[in-house]
Amino acid sequence: MQFNGLSLEQAPPISAPLRFYLTAPLFAILAGVLLLLSDASVLQSRYSIDSIVITHAITIGFMSFVMLGSLTQMLPVLAGVKMYRVELITKTSHLALVFGTLFMIMGLKFEMPLLNTLAIILFASGFFAMIIVILMAIKKVKNFTPTVTGMSVSLIFALFSVLMGVFLLFSYIDADAEIYRNIVANTHSVWAIFGFAGVLIVGVTFQVLPMFYVAPKFKDFYQKRVILFISLSLVLWMITSLFYEAYSVVAKLWLVLFFASFAAIFLQKIKNRKRKVSDITLLYYKTSSIFLAFGSLFWIVDEYYFSEHIVVTSIFIGGFILSIMIGMLYKIVPFLIWFHLNGMGYMSIPTMNEMIDKKWALIQFALFVASLMGFVLSYYIDAYLSLFALAFIISMVILQYNIITAVLIYKRVKKTKPDFDMSAFA
Amino acid sequence: MSSIKEYLSQDHTRCDELFAKMEDSANKSLDNAKESYEEFAKATERHFQMEERVMFLEFEAKTGMTEGPTAMMRHEHAQMRGLIKQMGEAIEAQNKDKFFGLSETLMILMQQHNMKEEQMLYTMAQQHLSAEAPRVVDMMEAMIVE
Repeated sequence: MQFNGLSLEQAPPISAPLRFYLTAPLFAILAGVLLLLSDASVLQSRYSIDSIVITHAITIGFMSFVMLGSLTQMLPVLAGVKMYRVELITKTSHLALVFGTLFMIMGLKFEMPLLNTLAIILFASGFFAMIIVILMAIKKVKNFTPTVTGMSVSLIFALFSVLMGVFLLFSYIDADAEIYRNIVANTHSVWAIFGFAGVLIVGVTFQVLPMFYVAPKFKDFYQKRVILFISLSLVLWMITSLFYEAYSVVAKLWLVLFFASFAAIFLQKIKNRKRKVSDITLLYYKTSSIFLAFGSLFWIVDEYYFSEHIVVTSIFIGGFILSIMIGMLYKIVPFLIWFHLNGMGYMSIPTMNEMIDKKWALIQFALFVASLMGFVLSYYIDAYLSLFALAFIISMVILQYNIITAVLIYKRVKKTKPDFDMSAFA
Repeated sequence: MSSIKEYLSQDHTRCDELFAKMEDSANKSLDNAKESYEEFAKATERHFQMEERVMFLEFEAKTGMTEGPTAMMRHEHAQMRGLIKQMGEAIEAQNKDKFFGLSETLMILMQQHNMKEEQMLYTMAQQHLSAEAPRVVDMMEAMIVE
């Protein structure tokens, strides 16, 4: 039976998602600091250690943390199932992933095989525990919506991406594995970004956008098929890039076509929404689809320039994913806090809009967009890279501050216990 | 003949549209929003009562589950009623920030509530009450709001 998601006591404790959300900006700050300390010319190559380290501070430290936190939270609402031992699993996985990421960054940067070995163990256990427990919960879902399909497909890509990632890290310990490094890295990065993050975002957007903005629904056909098409093109891309390199551009075009179509449809749905209010989340959503459109374009153009623009493509695609995630954080964090406080029976609590200062959210957004545009520019003229790195760091510090202010409201209200109102239970 | 699931899901959509309309007019001026607020509040209250006084009772009688999903949904209805009431007070007090803070909170609460109902409870209700579905829909249709 599927009652689990319907009972409050079985909803995940607020600490489960917040733990991930509170750590994510810290890793983005770390990425900014690493960027500040790096030599711009080294970052021109995607295979340099500095590039790899900075990328993973963002992709693992920020993106996967936000995704895992959100999956924990969304599973009962969007799929109607709950995770096994949610508190224990999220707590231990979170710890494993925090240290895994830190050890990997240090291990690679300072060439310390011991730290890399530890990182492999921590990543494997942390990611697999979360992925497998969530997939086990999804197995119990009877009513498979396109969103639930998106979640499970995304997690399968996550599983493979982690396996490949672990192998890649191993290639820095054992020189014999080194020869396979670049070829595995190719599939690893594309599957992690488009498969794990991309598919999850597409799947969740189907449900979330029409709901929160009373926007027109995505067409049934599109909802049912696009994830299948994306998955097929990802597999096709792997096969062609491994064995029939000359044809890989076809798979890439397919993949880009689906994501670009998503960006366009997404923008159009936002435009036609019935709820005309505009907020920081919407601003981030719009920005994310513009980043995605540019990223798709650059990735295709790049094909004809021998991967000269792959770094720029990555910045755009990274901007797409980060924007959508930060936009969502601005909505989900205040809501969770309100929801949990209200569920405890407190009535006079701040509304969602009062938890995060709009002005600070806007400043954070402006700095974020400026820094990403600056990174793109820095690829061609590297004189101002440190300036933009600084802007990025400040933007992430503000993001952290914004999330913390909301969490502090939760702590304060819980502590002061204002007018406990039983009418909520009447 | 529409099913319980279709009937109530369509009513969710109708309430969503009234909600959007209310926000739209509130954005122009809170004075103008009174009418559309009333319209939204009335439609939502009617929806709650169609569930609480008709569908939930039928569901509970059929399945014997009184502490299960329907109890949770009743609890969330109470949360939403609280917010809707506060929104009315914000209109009276001409406090636009407060109004939109509340409406934002209500929107998300309402949407995740609707999602649980449409994906789980209504589906279950339709399965358990398939033979009685036309009668249940008729009763909801004919219900007078208290």
